[in-house]
Amino acid sequence: MRPARMRKLRAVILDEKMDNVVRELHEEGLMELCDLTSKLEDPQWADLLSPSSPAPYLRDVSALLIKTNRFLDLFDSVKGEEKGGLKELLNPTLPPKEKVNFSSADEVISYGRSLLEEVEGEVKELADRLNHLENKINNLQQLKRYLEYLKDFQVDLEHLKSGPYTYVAVGLIPEDKVAQLKEKLSSITDNLSEVVEGKPVVTTENERKVPVVVVTLKEYRDKVGGELRRSGFERIEVSNLKGTPGENLERIEREIRECEKERENILSKLRELAKKWYRKLLVLHELLEIEKERAESYTYYGRTERTYMLEGWVPEKYVDRVKNTIERASEGCGVVEVKEPDEPEEKIPVMLDNPKPVKPFEMLTEMFAPPKYNEIDPTLLIVPGFLIFYGIMLTDAVYGLLLTLIGLFVWKKLGKVSEGARNIGYILTLAGIATVIAGIITGGYLGDFLKEFLGFDIYKTPFALVNPLGESFYINEVRPLLKLGSISVDNGPIAILLFSILVGILHLFIGLVVGFKENLEKKGFKEAFLNQGIWLLLIIGLALGLVTNMPSIILATVALVVLLCIVRGYMKGGILDAMLGVMDITGFLGNVLSYARLLALCLATGGLAMAVNIMAKLIGDSIPVIGILLALIVLLIGHTFNFVMNGLGAFIHSLRLHYVEFFGQFYEGGGKKFQPFKAKREYTTVN
Amino acid sequence: MVLDNPLLLGAIGAGLAVGIAGFGSGIGAGIAGASGAGVIAEDPSKFGTAIVFQALPQTQGLYGFLVAILILFVFKNAPEWAMVGAGVATGLAGLSAIGQGIASAAGLGAVAEDEKIFGKAMVFSVLPETQAIYGLLVAILLLVGVFGNSLGATTIAALGAGLAVGFAGLSGIGQGITAAAAIGATARDPDAMGKGLVLAVMPETFAIFGLLIAILIMLGIMF
Repeated sequence: MRPARMRKLRAVILDEKMDNVVRELHEEGLMELCDLTSKLEDPQWADLLSPSSPAPYLRDVSALLIKTNRFLDLFDSVKGEEKGGLKELLNPTLPPKEKVNFSSADEVISYGRSLLEEVEGEVKELADRLNHLENKINNLQQLKRYLEYLKDFQVDLEHLKSGPYTYVAVGLIPEDKVAQLKEKLSSITDNLSEVVEGKPVVTTENERKVPVVVVTLKEYRDKVGGELRRSGFERIEVSNLKGTPGENLERIEREIRECEKERENILSKLRELAKKWYRKLLVLHELLEIEKERAESYTYYGRTERTYMLEGWVPEKYVDRVKNTIERASEGCGVVEVKEPDEPEEKIPVMLDNPKPVKPFEMLTEMFAPPKYNEIDPTLLIVPGFLIFYGIMLTDAVYGLLLTLIGLFVWKKLGKVSEGARNIGYILTLAGIATVIAGIITGGYLGDFLKEFLGFDIYKTPFALVNPLGESFYINEVRPLLKLGSISVDNGPIAILLFSILVGILHLFIGLVVGFKENLEKKGFKEAFLNQGIWLLLIIGLALGLVTNMPSIILATVALVVLLCIVRGYMKGGILDAMLGVMDITGFLGNVLSYARLLALCLATGGLAMAVNIMAKLIGDSIPVIGILLALIVLLIGHTFNFVMNGLGAFIHSLRLHYVEFFGQFYEGGGKKFQPFKAKREYTTVN
Repeated sequence: MVLDNPLLLGAIGAGLAVGIAGFGSGIGAGIAGASGAGVIAEDPSKFGTAIVFQALPQTQGLYGFLVAILILFVFKNAPEWAMVGAGVATGLAGLSAIGQGIASAAGLGAVAEDEKIFGKAMVFSVLPETQAIYGLLVAILLLVGVFGNSLGATTIAALGAGLAVGFAGLSGIGQGITAAAAIGATARDPDAMGKGLVLAVMPETFAIFGLLIAILIMLGIMF
C-alpha cells in the first residue's frame, strides 16, 4: 500500500568501460539518474570530482539527426495522406519492430552516415530539381498575374523599354490617383510625357488599380520616378520579354504546365523512394535519438581523471539486477554501492507498485497527484468505491452493457498503441460491469422501456430489487424495508438515499481509519485523534445510538464532538478559531450529504431515459405512419445523449467523491514520479 | 386544496423547473461556448474537447427538464405545493450552471494549453454541479413523498424548502469562480490540486446549509 521502496545506487566506473555501462543501463531502464551538477558545487565534492561534459559523439549524432529530419520532412511533404483511414483509426496495428544490434555509438554513426549517403545519392538530385521547379512555377505565376493586368495593351513588350532618349515605366496605380498623376506629370515635364491607361483591374489584394504605361524624356526620369512613387505606383518588370502580353501569357501558361508535369513526375519518383526509405529513416531517427540521450546523460555524472561516478534511484526489487548489469558491463572495472535513501522525502522519486489488476487505476491516483514517498498509495482503496459509485450513478443494464463493449474496444483495440487508452478502457470495462449489476438490481433497461412499449412492469415482478422512482415488488407501502422514527422506508428513492448515506459514511470511515493510522505512526496519537479520531468517534457514536435505539447516545456524542472541535480550534489559533470549530461539524455533515448525489444521479439517468421513452411514445402514437420512424430516431438520439451525458457525469462525480470527500480524510499527494533512464524504442528492438 | 386540480399548480412548478434551470444552463453553456470558440479558432482539432466542456453546464437544464417531466407525467398525484417546491428547488439551484460555465471555460482554456490536465480540469468544472444535485435531491424527496404527511412537505411550507435549497444553490456561481481560478493554479503547478479543491469546495458550505434547512422544513418537526 506504499509506493515502491527506493535505494540510492552509486557507482564508480573506469572511463573506458563507462560508455558500455551507460548503454546497458539505458536498455534496461530501471534506474533514474541523479544530476550530480549541484552536488559538485559543494567544495568537499569538488575536491574529488569535476563535472563531466556530454560524450564526444554528441556532435556527430546531432548533425546526423538534423540531416535525418530533413529527409523525413521531405518524404512527409510528398507522401500525402496515409491510406487506411477509419479502419486503421479504430483498430490500429503496431508497426513491426526492426531488430538492431549496435554495440557502440560509433557503429550507429557510421551506419547512419552510409544510410544517409545512400539516400542522399538517390534523392538529392530530385529534391534539388523539385526545389528549382517550385521556385520557377512561383515566379511564372507571379509574372502571369502581372501580365494579365496588362492584357489590354496590344503592343510588343519589347517596345516598352527605355531607349537612348526615352524613359518608359509600366505598372499599376490606384484608380483614384490617375487624373492627379496625369496632371502632375504634364506639369513637371512641360507636357513632354504620355500616360497610356488600360482598363481598371481588381488586384489580388482586392484593390482597384489601373495599368498604365508612362513615357517621357530621359532627363525627366528622376522627377517622374519620384512622382510615381508618391502616387503609389507598382512597377511591373517587362524589360526582358518579347511579344504582346497575350502571346506571353500563352507561353507562360504552357511553361507552367510543363513544369507542373515534370514536378508530378519527380513527386511520384520521390514517393517511390519514400516507400523504400521512410521506415529505415524512422529507425535511424530513433537510434540517433537514443544515442543522443546517452551522450547527454554524461552531464549528470562526475568524473576524476580516469573514472566516472554516477548516482541514481533504483526500486529495491531491481537493485540486484541493476548491480549485476553494472558489474557485467564494466567487466569488473566498476564499484557499486547501494544505500538507503539519504535525501529528504520530497526528493525521492515515487513509483507506484500495485498488482496488475489494480495497476490501470493508478491513472486516477496520478490525476490527483502521486503520493509522497512515505505516504500511503490510495490506488487500491479507490477501486471498489469508484466502481460501486459509478454503477449506482449510471444504473442501467443496457447502458452498462454498452459501456462494457466500448470499454473492451478501447482496452483491446486502441490500447494496443496507447497505454492511456489501455488503462481507461480497462476502467470503463469494469465500470460497465458494475453498471450492469446496478441496472439489474434497480430494474433499469433503457429506463422504463419495457413498461412503456411492451407493457411489462418489472417492478411488479420479483426481478428488480428497488425502483428508483417508486415502489417495487420487495419494497412498498405494505412491505417497508424498515422504519426510522416517523419515516418509513417504503419506496425506492428513500431506500437508495439511505443506502447512499450509509455507503458514504462507510467510505468516510475507511478514509478516516487509514488517516488515523498514518497520523498515529508519523505524528503521534494527539494529531491522529484531533484530525481523524473525533470523526471516528462521531460515526461510532451515531451507529451505536441507532443500533441500540438510544437517542441519548447520539446527542451525547454530538455534544462531545462539538466540544472537541471547539477545543481543537482553540489550540490551533485562539478564540476565533474555537468559534469556527463549531462549523467543522457542518463540514463533516456536508461530506456525508455529498454522497446523496448517488441517489440524485441514479435517478437522473433513469428519469431522463424515461423522459426519452415518454417523448418517443407520444410521437409514435400521435403522428401516423412516419411516427414510428420519428419515435425510433428520438429513442436513438435521446438514449445516446443520455448515455454519454450521464456516463461522463458518473465518472467525474465518482472521482469527485474520492478526491474531495475521501482523500480529504487522509491523502495529500505531491510526490515526484519515478522517471527511469530508459531507451524509448517504438520502431526497433534489441532482443 | 387551492385549485380543483392539483396539477394546475404542478404545471407552475414544472414551468419554474425547466424555465429557471434553462436560463442558468443557457448562460453557463454560453460562457463555456465562448471559450470554446476561442479555442477552436486556435486549434480546430480541439472541437471535441470544447463540446465536452460545454456539455457540463447543460446538465442543470436537463435536471429542470427531468423534474418537469416527473411532475407532469409521473408524480401526478403528489401534493400540489410539493410540486411547486420541487420546481423552485430544481430551477433556482439550476442557476449554479452559471458558475459551472465559468469553471468550464477556464478548464477548457487550460486543456487547450496542456492536454494532460484534462482530468483535473474536469473535476474542478464539475464541482458547481453539487448545488444543482441538491436541488434535484430535494425535488425528488418532495415528489416521492418521503416524509409522508408532514406539513412541511405537503403544504405551502414545501415552497420554503424549495426556496432554501434553490437560493442556497446560487452559491454555485461563487464556487465556479473559485474553481476557475483553481484550474489556473493547477495548470501552473499540478501539486496545487489538493489545496485548490479545498478552497473550491468552501462555497458549497452554504448549499449544505440550504439543504439542511430544506430537510428540516420537510420533516416538519416544528409545526
